[in-house]
Amino acid sequence: MTFWIIAALLTLAASLAVLWPFLRTRAGRSDHPLAHDIEVYRDQLAEVERDAARGLIGSQEAVEARAEIGRRILRLDQALADDHGRAAMPTGRRWAATAAVLVVPVAGWALYMGLGSPTFGDQPLQARLERDVASSSIEELVARAERHLAENPEDGRGWEVLAPIYMRMGRYNEAETAFRNVIRLSGATADREAGHGEAIMAVAEGLVTEDARAAFERAVELQPGHPKASFYLATAEAQEGRRDEAAERFAALLAGLPVDSPWRGAVEQALGDVRGADAPDQPGPSAADIEAAEAMSPEERGEMIEAMVARLDDRLRDNPSDTEGWKRLVRSYIMLNRRDDALAALGRATTALEGEPERLREVREFAASLGLEGTETR
Amino acid sequence: MVETGHFALVLAFVLALVQFAVPLAGARLRDERMMAVAEPVAITGFALTALSFAALVMAYVQSDFSVLNVYENSHSGKPLIFKITGTWGNHEGSMLLWVLILTFFGALVAFFGRNLPATLRANVLAVQGLVGAAFLLFLLATSNPFTRIPNPPLEGRDLNPILQDIGLAVHPPLLYLGYVGFSICFSFAAAALIEGRIDAAWARWVRPWTLAAWLFLTGGIAMGSYWAYYELGWGGFWFWDPVENASFLPWLTGTALLHSAIVMEKRSALKIWTILLSILTFSMSLLGTFLVRSGVLTSVHAFATDPTRGVFILAILVMFIGGSLALFAWRAQALTPGGLFQPVSREGALVLNNLFLTTAAATVLIGTLYPLLVEALTGDKISVGAPFFNMTFVPLVLPLLAIVPFGPLLAWKRADLAGVSQRLMAAFGGALLVTAAAFVVSDAASVFSALGVGLAAWLVLGAATDIALKAGIGKVRAGIALKRLAGLPLSAFGTALAHAGLGLTVLGIVAVTSFQVERFETMRPGDTLDIGAYSLRFEALRPFQGPNYTEDRGHFTWLDGDRELGEIVSAKRVYTARQFPTTEAGIATRGLSQMYVSLGDADSEGGIVVRAWWWPLVTLIWIGGLVMMAGGAVSLFDRRLRVGAPSRRARPPKAAEAAAG
Repeated sequence: MTFWIIAALLTLAASLAVLWPFLRTRAGRSDHPLAHDIEVYRDQLAEVERDAARGLIGSQEAVEARAEIGRRILRLDQALADDHGRAAMPTGRRWAATAAVLVVPVAGWALYMGLGSPTFGDQPLQARLERDVASSSIEELVARAERHLAENPEDGRGWEVLAPIYMRMGRYNEAETAFRNVIRLSGATADREAGHGEAIMAVAEGLVTEDARAAFERAVELQPGHPKASFYLATAEAQEGRRDEAAERFAALLAGLPVDSPWRGAVEQALGDVRGADAPDQPGPSAADIEAAEAMSPEERGEMIEAMVARLDDRLRDNPSDTEGWKRLVRSYIMLNRRDDALAALGRATTALEGEPERLREVREFAASLGLEGTETR
Repeated sequence: MVETGHFALVLAFVLALVQFAVPLAGARLRDERMMAVAEPVAITGFALTALSFAALVMAYVQSDFSVLNVYENSHSGKPLIFKITGTWGNHEGSMLLWVLILTFFGALVAFFGRNLPATLRANVLAVQGLVGAAFLLFLLATSNPFTRIPNPPLEGRDLNPILQDIGLAVHPPLLYLGYVGFSICFSFAAAALIEGRIDAAWARWVRPWTLAAWLFLTGGIAMGSYWAYYELGWGGFWFWDPVENASFLPWLTGTALLHSAIVMEKRSALKIWTILLSILTFSMSLLGTFLVRSGVLTSVHAFATDPTRGVFILAILVMFIGGSLALFAWRAQALTPGGLFQPVSREGALVLNNLFLTTAAATVLIGTLYPLLVEALTGDKISVGAPFFNMTFVPLVLPLLAIVPFGPLLAWKRADLAGVSQRLMAAFGGALLVTAAAFVVSDAASVFSALGVGLAAWLVLGAATDIALKAGIGKVRAGIALKRLAGLPLSAFGTALAHAGLGLTVLGIVAVTSFQVERFETMRPGDTLDIGAYSLRFEALRPFQGPNYTEDRGHFTWLDGDRELGEIVSAKRVYTARQFPTTEAGIATRGLSQMYVSLGDADSEGGIVVRAWWWPLVTLIWIGGLVMMAGGAVSLFDRRLRVGAPSRRARPPKAAEAAAG
């Protein structure tokens, strides 16, 4: 609102600057341009006198200079007498005045509305960081935490809060550093080691590296059967092609998990994947899609993902018995933060898979492992 | 505030259009009120641009990353001073500064120009408005500093570390004051051509503006040269780099313009020269802006690389240079010729001066544009370096320097060359003595170096002779001479100072190029390096942690025989945010000379490459520039520059004096 008032005042001031000379009751008399010249020549004459008096120029030179300036003044007088000047044109003036005054607000506002972003307020960094926590975006909260940690780098609790947030934001390198700091400052626990391992793995784009495996092993040592660490250790075996050992470990993990553990679905699926080695390829984004997505801006990438999800949704209406498809749809909606759509998809899956309780249970359990309400038992 | 700044900039553009159209039409129709529009509009336009600039500075100070320009060029962790200077450390911000200075000069003409003839004032401000409108449109259309980001990031990308320097705070504003100051001369020239006549008042007005612009440009060039000397790490004071040439070209033509304007004011001669030089000088400023801002050059200064910008500025360039030259071709004959003069006279000498300076400018222009032309036509990247300029520019300037002391001594209209030579005998004898001394002191190393030193002495002594003769020293009693000295017009001192400053700069350049000592060696702690009459002992290399950089500092002790003269610290610095390495040279001054130490790469055995220079009298290069500036300033305060208003509108003398400042 203030902006509009200021803008209106500025426009008014600018228009007045144009209007002002037209409003003056008595136009300032302008002297004939040649009259100015005479004044300059008089100054020059005076200067010659001064210089001559000081002896800066010789008397002969002074006489010559005086004569020359005198000749110029005579010429000017002649010109003044000849030139009577032209009259002004009042009608043209009125028209020009109106046009000139109007062009300022009209063109100004038209241009600004095309170029500017009038709805944007200022966003000074300090104010953004001091804003109420509830209305802050996750990035602002993180930036605030980062500033705090830059000043107090030995605050283990701070790092502990920040680490999983970094993971969720996809800032894996920072997450890795944060977990390392937590362990250094607050000591190792199974959860922290497992988190650290997961961050290292994420940096390596999902590959369980030696460092990651060491972290998971430390976690399992601290708490035997730690679900996350065990799960990834099994995953590591699966990645190395040791399917039988992986399956064994997954099965053991599944047996040890409580009935309501959120890990059940994931472990069961992984187990199924390891056992059914020739499971059909999952349709998903092609390599070309992924490559294209990397070159995109965040907005474009968001659009591409939305389009892919919409395609999947449509396909499931035609082919509702695709268990894997339902799982991916539910997961996609959750990742896009569209919880209602995820629930609706789950509902549609329930209807579509009514005749096949096994497959329905699989989808529902998968949804539960993602924390979807209704079947959530966490 | 940010959007207010954006809105103000748009309004300033529209007002610039009004400032162009209405007064121009008014001058044509002899309509008082339409002409009078120019003044309030020019002043309001400046106020709006200033508001806009303030809004941008504010956004930088507050690290408002919702402004794209701030996000791309700032960082919340930067010291406050570099947040502020960062405003013009990038393309958009520096163009806004350019336009701000342009509108500032327009407002000055509007404010102080009340006693100019009405049509001249209207036309000048109209042309100034057109220049402003073109550049404001350029800003809004291709380089808008107020573009916003919907979801602003929380940290910016930081400014190029080389530009995080106090030099950047001063250098561009000074340079722009010079560049843009010449726009006033241009507007005056264009106005004179539009009217088809030049008043006596015209020359009186153009001279102070030329002086002011020339003064700032001199300062900007000297500043830029010193900045390159200490920041780029190998002590060169002039590289003949296209960006430097871009600032040197308007200086050369501007110097010629300054001298022509004097002739015009005093003798109404050289009108065509003055008009043409006004156009050429501002054209060179525009060309410089184009070279630097379009990104056709690749150097430290070229931070803009968008081709649409280049094409836009090129269009502005063609419009103003082409338009004004066409106007010149069309109207120049209409200008009545001024006073006549003999070839041997002050006027004649200044014509010679103009010829030399414009030819020198032409060679620099060729040397600057030729590589670009070759690259455009064949795609080959060639560089025309110092050898080209040494072979073309230097031989042109040497004779000019040799005749400089004659100029102020020659009489107007017709002069007695023999008499003047006689009066300069003392200075000439002095210069010869200095030459001989330099030849002996330098162990007869080079005749040319000794002659160069002699030339510098000739310039300084010639300037002193001028003042001494004017005061009558030696001819009249000391008391009278002193009184006459005090009564001399300030512009006489200005001339002498400027010419003497030129001599000092020449002396610095000759001394550095002829007598510098350069050593280049790998040193270990404890090693000693002999350099000229001195030696340097390398003490240690110690790490140091700065606010946003880390550096390795080499500590050296500067020795004269066994006597310690002091410590020199030279560093290799890495700015951590961008992993950007820079060299921080260690410089120590003794008298007018400097010892300059720069670090190279470390080798595997604990040694480090050290480059050291002994630059004799190097500071004179920039001191000369400062003296030239002082000369300009003194001349600017000469009260005789006052433009006389017709007596019926005469105001109290105080107001008239203020108007002259």
